[in-house]
Amino acid sequence: MRACDTSAREMATTVSPSTEQACPTELASPRARGTADDSGHFSNVRRAAESRSLSAIRKYTLTVLLVGSALGVTALLQREFPYPFLFLFFAAVMTSAWFGGRTAGLLAVLLSTLAVDYFFVPPFYSFRISATEVTYFVAFVVCAVVASWVSSSKRKSEEALKQIRNQLELRVAERTAELQISNAELRQSEHQLRLLTEVMPQQIWSARADGSVDYCNQRLLQYVARTMDQMRGNRLLETVHPEGRKSFGQAWQSALSSGMPLEGEWRVRGAGGHYRWFFIRAVPLRDARGTTLRWYGTNTDIDDHKNAEQALARTQSELAHLSRVLTMGELAASIAHEVNQPLTALVTYGDACMEWLSSDPPNVEQAKHAVGRIIKDGSRAGAVLHRIRAMFKKETPAREWLDINEVIRESVAFLRDDFAAHDVSLRTDLAPSLPKVKGDRIQLQQVVLNLVINSIDALKKATGGAKDLAISSREETETALIVRIEDSGVGLGPDIAGDIFKPFFTTKPQGIGMGLSISRSIVESHHGRLWATPRPRGGAIFQFTIPSAQA
Amino acid sequence: MTAPNSMVFIIDDDASVRDAIHTLLSSIGLYSEVFESAEEFLHTERPSVPSCLVLDIRLPGVNGLDFQDELEQAGIRIPIVFMTAHGDIPMALRAMKGGAVEFLTKPFQKQQLMAAIHQALDRDRVMREREQELSSLRSRYETLTRREREVLNLVVNGLLNKQIAAQLGVSEVTVKAHRGQAMQRMRAASLAELVRMTEKLKGLPQRHIY
Repeated sequence: MRACDTSAREMATTVSPSTEQACPTELASPRARGTADDSGHFSNVRRAAESRSLSAIRKYTLTVLLVGSALGVTALLQREFPYPFLFLFFAAVMTSAWFGGRTAGLLAVLLSTLAVDYFFVPPFYSFRISATEVTYFVAFVVCAVVASWVSSSKRKSEEALKQIRNQLELRVAERTAELQISNAELRQSEHQLRLLTEVMPQQIWSARADGSVDYCNQRLLQYVARTMDQMRGNRLLETVHPEGRKSFGQAWQSALSSGMPLEGEWRVRGAGGHYRWFFIRAVPLRDARGTTLRWYGTNTDIDDHKNAEQALARTQSELAHLSRVLTMGELAASIAHEVNQPLTALVTYGDACMEWLSSDPPNVEQAKHAVGRIIKDGSRAGAVLHRIRAMFKKETPAREWLDINEVIRESVAFLRDDFAAHDVSLRTDLAPSLPKVKGDRIQLQQVVLNLVINSIDALKKATGGAKDLAISSREETETALIVRIEDSGVGLGPDIAGDIFKPFFTTKPQGIGMGLSISRSIVESHHGRLWATPRPRGGAIFQFTIPSAQA
Repeated sequence: MTAPNSMVFIIDDDASVRDAIHTLLSSIGLYSEVFESAEEFLHTERPSVPSCLVLDIRLPGVNGLDFQDELEQAGIRIPIVFMTAHGDIPMALRAMKGGAVEFLTKPFQKQQLMAAIHQALDRDRVMREREQELSSLRSRYETLTRREREVLNLVVNGLLNKQIAAQLGVSEVTVKAHRGQAMQRMRAASLAELVRMTEKLKGLPQRHIY
């Protein structure tokens, strides 16, 4: 590259005009040079050098021939003219200088001078010059030198001009090709961009600096079911939900006046008259001085996202509420009963005590007895409240040795009202003197409660037939107990049997689907298993195992 | 203690509650008997004195409201005072439609309980008196001969002796004799009383009792 560069520069200055075209491409365009490879350059340089030496031989030969011809012709003409006819030497010098350059011209001058001196200047056939002929001879030499210089200079400038023209032409051709390529590229990228705007899930539009819409992509037009003409101008606003129209209008106006991007979520009316949530964003295109030229906008459908967001928020609050209400609701009746029973007894004993003491004479023995019962029922009410509080309190699991039957009985006691209210006949078959299990009383109660509540719900849904619920406990192996809760309810369809233990799976309208999921994790944290199977005569069987102390 | 002149039956599965009510009632001189279940109550022998049932809605085995229906179907008519630790409107409605005297929510005031028990006992007393009157009327009516009953029916329907005689094809004198005999046997002092008696026997005017 650099080699060619240098040689090219050398050629331009030192090489004769006829050889200067040897490497035209290299000279013509620095860009084109960039595209040739190095080996190519080296061969070009070599070729240029060869042609240079070749043309040197040729041009000097030509010079000698031309001067020789001039000499021959002049010698012939000498007989016809009284004066030596030397113009042909000038022609030879000029021609040599024209084709061979300055050195060839000077050589022609030298040869012509010698020839003229020898043959045509008296004394003839001698290089001496007579004194009378000196002026004539000098005039000839000067004229020859001038002719040579003028001719070579003219040729040189002509060559330079030609070269510049060539370069210019090449550059123009190159630029034209470049322009064609970039035009094609532009067309292609424009096509791609258009394709992209149509393929993108987003709705795209653009507006003039004043905010009037002048382009909408197909997707946007399809969504709003309008033609481009129906969207032109300020009619984007018409597609926004009436509730959000004012805020959209204000946001758009403030974006237009401030030049700041427009961003926001609005509902946009679709083809069927339904509205979907969109994230609408528009950014300005500015010129160098910062003046807004156009606006480019996108409408992104975020309806599903928005709905999911709302549903999530709703679910979360429902969950928070339901988990409280559900547990409370299921147990409120039991709590009321559990607390009201001792209170009823307490108040009634109080009344009786009053009667005994007001009678005449006062029956102190009976009154004492009544007060004793009041105390007993008072502490019973306290114990109930304590138990309820423990049930709702979040505590780190406390592992203790428990009688699983006691846990079952306590849990069932909470739900006795539900059995009565829904005509459920409960049968308990608890094996006596079972080994103890190590676990958290409250958590295990929660498991039993959840399973029993589930069974009651299944029985509620069942129509006809006896509503039987059986709870049993027994030793499964030497190291594990099994608790079984069996109901004659609606049972588990094969389609849901696999899902019931998944979080948030529920078939109940009020359910949150956490009961069985939580129950299973509790049982598993006790190193047991909880599973469900269909009951042969309809209904479901839920059972869980729990490791026991070895007897 | 003298023989009870009334009896309150208490059914509640909660020993404390039933014993407390029992204690309260005995402190004011009312006889009561306690039962843990409806089953137990059915198997007991009940004295024929004005009595009532203080019944908890929540019972082991059977629901109190269902037990009310069972008693009705078995023809055991005993006024019921319901108690519940947590009641709702549908429950109360069903109880009252079934003829319950009161629907008490635990814990209740003594006055509420006593008022309900007294009302229930009064209702039973009236019912028993009416039953008794009716059975005495029935036994008196059964002493009448066939002809006397025929004459009696026509008399209370407003027919004159003459018309009765014509309808039955007997003499007016005979009608008068039958009529006199019937009124005497029914212990009716007047025609108006006789009419009231026969209406009671037909079971028409029950609504006037309450």
